[in-house]
Parts: sequence; C-alpha cells; structure tokens
Amino acid sequence: MPETIELNINGIAKQLDAAPNRTLHDALQYQMGLTGAKHMCDRGACGSCTVIMDGRPVLSCSILVCECEGKAIETIEGIAADPKWKPLVDAYCKWDAMQCGYCTPGFLTTAKALIDRSPNPSEQDCREALAGNICMCGTYPRHATAILEAARNMNSEGGGLNG
Amino acid sequence: MKQFKHLNVRSVEEASEALGSGNAAMIAGGTDLLGVLKDNILETYPEAVVNLKSIPGLDRIREENGNLRIGSLARLADIAESELVSKKYTALAQAAKAVATPNIRNMATIGGNLAQFNRCWYFRKSENRFDCIRKGGRECFAETGDNRYHSIFGGLRIGASACKTECPAATDIPDYLEQMRGGDPGKAAQTIMKANPMPMITSRICAHPCQLGCNRCQSDESVNISAIERAVGDFIMEHRDEYYRPPAKGTAKKAAIVGAGPAGLSAAYFLRRAGLGVTVFDKKEEAGGMLMYAIPPYRLPRDIVRGFVSALRKMGVEFQVNKEIGKDILPEKLECEYDCVLYATGAWKRPIVGITGEELTVFGLDFLMDVKNWMKGKIGSEVLVAGGGNVAMDVAVTARRLGAGKVTLVCLESREEMPASPEEIERAEDEGIAIMPGWGLSRVLEAGGEIKGMELKRCVSVRDEEGKFNPQYDESQTMEMKAENILMAVGQAVDLSYFGENIGLQLTRRGLIDVSDDTKMTSKEGVFASGDVTTGPDKAIGAVVGGRKAAEGILRHLKISDPKAAEAPGESCLIRFDPEGVRKTEALKLGALDGDKRSLDLEDSISPKMDEAKREAARCRNCGCYCAFPSDIATSLSALGADIVTNRRTLSIDSLYGSSLSGSTVLEPGEIITEVAIPAPEDGSHSAFLKMAWRKSIDFPVVNCAVSTGSKARVCIGAVAPKPYRAINAEALITGKEISEKNAEEAGLIAVEGAIPFEAARYKAQLAKVLVKRALLAAGKQIAIELAIETEAK
Repeated sequence: MPETIELNINGIAKQLDAAPNRTLHDALQYQMGLTGAKHMCDRGACGSCTVIMDGRPVLSCSILVCECEGKAIETIEGIAADPKWKPLVDAYCKWDAMQCGYCTPGFLTTAKALIDRSPNPSEQDCREALAGNICMCGTYPRHATAILEAARNMNSEGGGLNG
Repeated sequence: MKQFKHLNVRSVEEASEALGSGNAAMIAGGTDLLGVLKDNILETYPEAVVNLKSIPGLDRIREENGNLRIGSLARLADIAESELVSKKYTALAQAAKAVATPNIRNMATIGGNLAQFNRCWYFRKSENRFDCIRKGGRECFAETGDNRYHSIFGGLRIGASACKTECPAATDIPDYLEQMRGGDPGKAAQTIMKANPMPMITSRICAHPCQLGCNRCQSDESVNISAIERAVGDFIMEHRDEYYRPPAKGTAKKAAIVGAGPAGLSAAYFLRRAGLGVTVFDKKEEAGGMLMYAIPPYRLPRDIVRGFVSALRKMGVEFQVNKEIGKDILPEKLECEYDCVLYATGAWKRPIVGITGEELTVFGLDFLMDVKNWMKGKIGSEVLVAGGGNVAMDVAVTARRLGAGKVTLVCLESREEMPASPEEIERAEDEGIAIMPGWGLSRVLEAGGEIKGMELKRCVSVRDEEGKFNPQYDESQTMEMKAENILMAVGQAVDLSYFGENIGLQLTRRGLIDVSDDTKMTSKEGVFASGDVTTGPDKAIGAVVGGRKAAEGILRHLKISDPKAAEAPGESCLIRFDPEGVRKTEALKLGALDGDKRSLDLEDSISPKMDEAKREAARCRNCGCYCAFPSDIATSLSALGADIVTNRRTLSIDSLYGSSLSGSTVLEPGEIITEVAIPAPEDGSHSAFLKMAWRKSIDFPVVNCAVSTGSKARVCIGAVAPKPYRAINAEALITGKEISEKNAEEAGLIAVEGAIPFEAARYKAQLAKVLVKRALLAAGKQIAIELAIETEAK
C-alpha cells in the first residue's frame, strides 16, 4: 500500500502517494509532471537527475520518495521560474554551455546549489562542484565560465556580498 | 526496481529487530543499495528495506576524550568538510572527498560506504549471470576470466571450497595445500589429522571425491589431491613418534572399541588423544579390519597398516586381537567394565542374492582374505566377477594376478554409474579384465555340482526415481558367460550375531545399528556405533569420519574436552595461490611399477617425492573470492586504526571484512554499524590518502592508499584485495621514522613484495608501490598531493 507523504516542491506543499520502491525522480516525472530532472543512467553515475534537497544537490534517481517526508525539494523548474536565478540561466545561454541540452538541467541545478553555498566561487570550485555531472557533448569548459559570470552578475545586481 | 516493504524506524533497537525478523536490508544513503535493487544481481532479495535515516542523532561528528567519533549516518560531504577531521584525521577527510561525486557524497554515509557490496563485475553482472562464490556458487570467475581490476594480494575463503565440501571427512584441503606450498608438510600433516588420523592409508585407497569437486576439472585436470595427501601421509609415517604422541594428561575414563577397522582405529586415535584409556578388540589376528584383510597389498601394503597400528599402540591404545566379542567376551561385560563402548564391527557378511546355484559361487571378501590358499592353482582359467565397486575391482585384479587367463567383470550399473573409482577401473582394464556394465545375474550354469558359467540378463536401470536400489531387467535379453569360478563382490551385509538373541539396540529398517547422526550414540546410553555397521558398506573415509564423530560423541557424553580439538581457528586472513604454479595444466601422475613387475604383494604405485607434491599443490587455485573491495573510506580508517562500533560489539576496521556470503562485512543479521571511533593521532603523527582512478571523479579506485606516520605507523592499500590490505613490513620500516624520499621509496617497494597479481592485474602492484611512496611523502610533508593521471581517451 503506497503511503501518502507530504513534501515541499519548489516552495509549494504537496501530497503524494509514495510506493515503497519508487524513486524521487520517478515521482517527480510521473506523478508531479516535472520532467526537468532527466532520466539517464538511473544509477547515480551521471548527474542528469540532480535536484536540491534541503539545500544539497542530490541525485533523485538514487533516493526513495517515501524517504522524502517533510523535505524541501527544488527542481530546475523552480530555479527557472525564480527571477533571482535569471542571471544563471542567461549566462548558460550566453556562453552556450550546452549542446544537446539533456544534461543541462542537472548541471544548472548543481551550479545553483554551488552559488547558494558560495556566492563567489573560484573556477576550481566550479570544476569540483560539477565533477559528478556528465555531458556527452563535451561542453565542460563553458560551465565554469557561465557560472562565474552569473555569480558576478548576481552579486552586483542583488547588492550581494560584493555589492 | 524490486518490490519491498519500507520501514522507517526510530531507534537502532527497532531497526535491529526489523532486520533480524526476516529477510530485510537496511538503507542509509541508498546509493549502493538502490543500484543493487534495480539490477537483478542477488540470489535472494530483501522483502523489507529498513530506513536508518529516520533514527535521530546517528549522523554526528564529534570529539570525545580527544578521540573522534563519527555516527554511521554522517554524510561523506560533511566528513570531508569538517575542519576537525581535515586537521587531525587528514587521511579520512581526503578519502571522503575522493569518493564518487560531490552530489553522491551529499547522500552517501560513512556506514553505508563501509558496508557496500564489492564492485566485482562478475558479482555485479545484472541478471545474475555469474553464479560466483560470493553468491554461493563454486568458483571465482576472476581466477580464470578477465581480472584486471581484481585482487593482487590474495582472496577470501567464502564458505567451504568445492574440494572440502566433497570430502566426506571435510578435510581442510585448501588449507593443507597452502601449507604445502609454503613448504611446511608438518603443518599440512596437522591440518589433515584434525579430520583424519590415517592419511597414509586413505590417500592410497580413498575414491577421493574431493578431486571430482576440484574446479580445475572444468578447464583441465583436477589437482591430484590424493598424491599430495600421500606425500604428507608418508611424511607422518616417517615422523610418527611426533604425530602420535601419548596425551600429555590422561583421564580415568576408559573406552572399549569393538572392531579394529578404519572406524575403530579412527575413534581410538581421537579418544586416546583426548586422554582416555582405549582398548580395541578384534577377532582377527591383526588389527586393521578391511584395511588389513580385504584391500589387496598391491593397493595398500600391509606394513603401512601395521605401522599405523603400532603408532597408535605407542600412543597408548591397547589392542586385544584374537578376541571375539560374543564368544570370548560378552557385550554386556564390556558395557559394564568400560565407561563407553563403541561397536565398529563393519560389514563382513555375505549377502544372499537369491539366484539359482548361488551356493557354488565364492564370496569375494572370503576370496580376498584367503588369497594364499588360492595360490595353489585353484583359480580357473576363466573367472567371472560380479560387482561394480572397488571390492569387485580388487577381486578381479587379484584373480588375474593369481593366474586366471580370462577375467570378466559384470555389474548392474552402466559404465558411468559404476561405484568403483576411475583409477581402479583403469587398473582393472590395464590388466586385461573385460568389464561388462549393465548386466545382472540370472542363474548359475552348472553340471553335476560343477560351475560351468553364469546366465546374465540385461539390466535397464539400477535405481528408481527416488534413488533407491531397485534394479529393473529386460528378461528377454540374456547371455551365457563361461566360467570356472564365480566370485561375488556385490556387497557385504552387517553381522550382529555377536549380540546373541537379544541385540538390545534399536536397528534401522535395513538392519543396521541406529545411531544419532551427530554423536553416533545408539539407543542405549553410553553405547556407540559407527562405520559400516551403521551405514552398510561404505568407503573407508566414511568409516574414518564415523569413528571421529563417535569419538566426539563419546567425549561429549563423558564431558571431556579435547584440548587439541579446541585449538582456535586463525583469523580469517587472505588466502594465496602460486601464480606460476596454477598455470600448469597437467596433473601430477604417480609413478607405477611396469606391468610385468606387478604382483599381489608389491604396491603398484610409487609415492611422490615431497617436492613433486609441493609442485602439485601449487596447481591449486585456492578457490575463494578474489574481488577488490573498493571503499576509499575503509582504507583511510585502517590507516588511522579505527574501530567500528555496532549495536552488539566493537571491532577493529581490519576485522570488519571477512568471509561471508553476499555481504562484504562479517556483521551478523540485525547487526548495525552505529559509530566509527578513531583514536586521536599522537603528536607529530600525520596521515594522508591518495587514490588512483581512471577519472578523478565518479570512478572507483584502481588502487588507493592511506598512511599514517609516527610510532604506530600504518600503511594500508585499498582495492587490491577483498579487504583493505595492511602492508605490515612497510609499516615496520617507517615506524617512528621521519619520512624521507629514501624510506618512502623503500616502503613502497616492500609493501608490494607479497603481491600475487593475476596476469592482467600486475600494473596494480606498480601503482600501489608508487601510491605508498607518494602518500608517505604527503603525510611526511603534511601537504595534499593531487594525483594527476593522464589517460588517453579510448
């Protein structure tokens, strides 16, 4: 019998039936209609399904949804809809830090969590944070560029730490 | 993903209960378990998954009395970022940061990392395609298959190896073969004698089912285990005073053993060893039973049996031969005078087959016992032997060597089903004996009380569907065999007439003495029985085991502990093989007398020399699990001398990994890691961790290494064995020393000295050597070294 759990997705409280063997990724995709976190390796090896849970980027394919009771989940849909993160999305577009685009939500979600934690990341920080996201098109060099610019823009616009 | 019930628990006790109550798995971070649940790789899948994350307080990282204590649910990301850990327990912080990817480290826990399944690709192959030894299979596929990411320091014994399983005595065959490879026949002798006190005898006559179990049979030839056992047996005979010492301390208890065959002699040895006064009665002139009277000396020289008996005598076993129980001494008297009595009287009676003219035939066992009489030209020119076991082969070969012109052997079984061992069948055929499988006896052809031959009928099946002996014949298919003598070797029956009218013991439906399987005690308190008298005719090794079990039963009954048997088994350490030796495909062949030199009295085969036996032992692959356990955390914890605290005990990280099916750890069902406790490093001691993987992130280590310096220096290498490998000699070299370029280099060299890599995994030894050196230098200089690996894109 699936039990009903409550969780917060992109700032909105939700209730959903959680079968014991259902992953968070499957629940997002098939029960919530949130298709941004991508299904790829399904074994925690590629980072395409990254979401942010209680502030940490995690892999939704390797988490049971029934264990997410009371958790705050952010997905790429929430990030894209939040004007605060427009500079990050814009920087990704400007620097063309994608090719086929399938892995991009995973990268972007990880990048968002990075800027959350350290608003002024170094290039090395970016590389380290993204080390678990795989892009088969090979767009790696552009991600750090985009993130660094986004962080700069966000800090100046929002009157952040450097502002 | 598999279906399962999911349980959130609030305490470790609740979790333990949920886990212990059935087939359940625990989930922490879930990054390993979910993969296992998605791929079909386990034999049995858990019905329930118990969530440990709902237990509060298990993820703390704190210092207590100067020591570091990390809750088992602490996430690797938190450990890597902890200032406390980075500063004082550097190797652990570096290892935590080296695991998988940042986003996995946000989920993965330290306890889960330690308890992860191994990453062997045979074990992990989806749809469970490799029934490997970790899954209860017989072999490790790395031993013969692709093994470039496998162990280079040996394996772990998982369960009992196939040879040991097949041995009726459960002799620790792989152990004594390893001791032989190590050049220690004395130790090998002790190992064998724990299970079997007469290897010099069994090696010559046993059908050695162990060799049929040998995994080498699938690719080439089984290890010639019996030849090695024989060399060890001969070694024991040469040093018999050492191996059959009288017990250091006697007891006042006395045991009587009736029957000096393999069962009786085996029991006598084990009882005497434990200090009992032992008297063995036998109605024959010499002790040895079937070993002395039924097995022809060309297979088992009488002097070997005599030597073994005299060794037992020197041990203090008393032999009363020419004493027939029931005639010279009554069983009641024995049972009265001795604390325990063991009946091991064997199966010597002629069974009645029920064919016409049977009274004209000769019982094979009588024939063997009476060979001297037959030497006077009594054997005819055409002889028919009935039976398909080793006794029948003995009878046939003996008849042939007595001068019979034509010996034909008929048996019910088909060629493949014949119970005789292949060597004996081969020996018989070498001597020109014609074997006719699949024929049963119909009637004796006679004229005026004189044998003319035998009518045979076709046997279509020997056993019924339940495996019971129930031969079926095609009566329409018959043939006549001419013969002057018919020797019947179709089994022996048990004779209990010595008990008189009233046996007073419970018997089985087959008329055998009924005993408890475990203790060999009969229905009468203090009266035991073992060997053929309880089983019907069986292999000698079966009787040896029966004797041993009876001795154990008697000792338990008398509440005497055998100090020798109580010797604790060693810690589960890594098992080794000889990488050169295992390549030899051909098994050792025993030397044998030329056909024309063979006789009734001279042993046909020649014992191998000790170095030949040693070389043959080198062919043993030492079957076990040769995976490489991949945890980065475990390596670093080993270098830091950590303890693992569970809900039941505290054990060192080095003893966490051992032989267990499926899982990697020695933890029992319901046992949960709750904490990792790391002693504070002494002043001036530093640690470092390095990892070599094909990609800097995501990948499992090809090799990793963690070291700590100071007076308790440790050097641990990971992903090179089924458990973290401590390079003890490298540790000795750097203990208390300042790390220099020179001693770091040297430590690397000796750290891999004991490596026995598979062909394809040799590079790992080279990597380990370099990693040890660099990790030591990093710890010495207290700097983090990034291992840069340039790999070409494939």
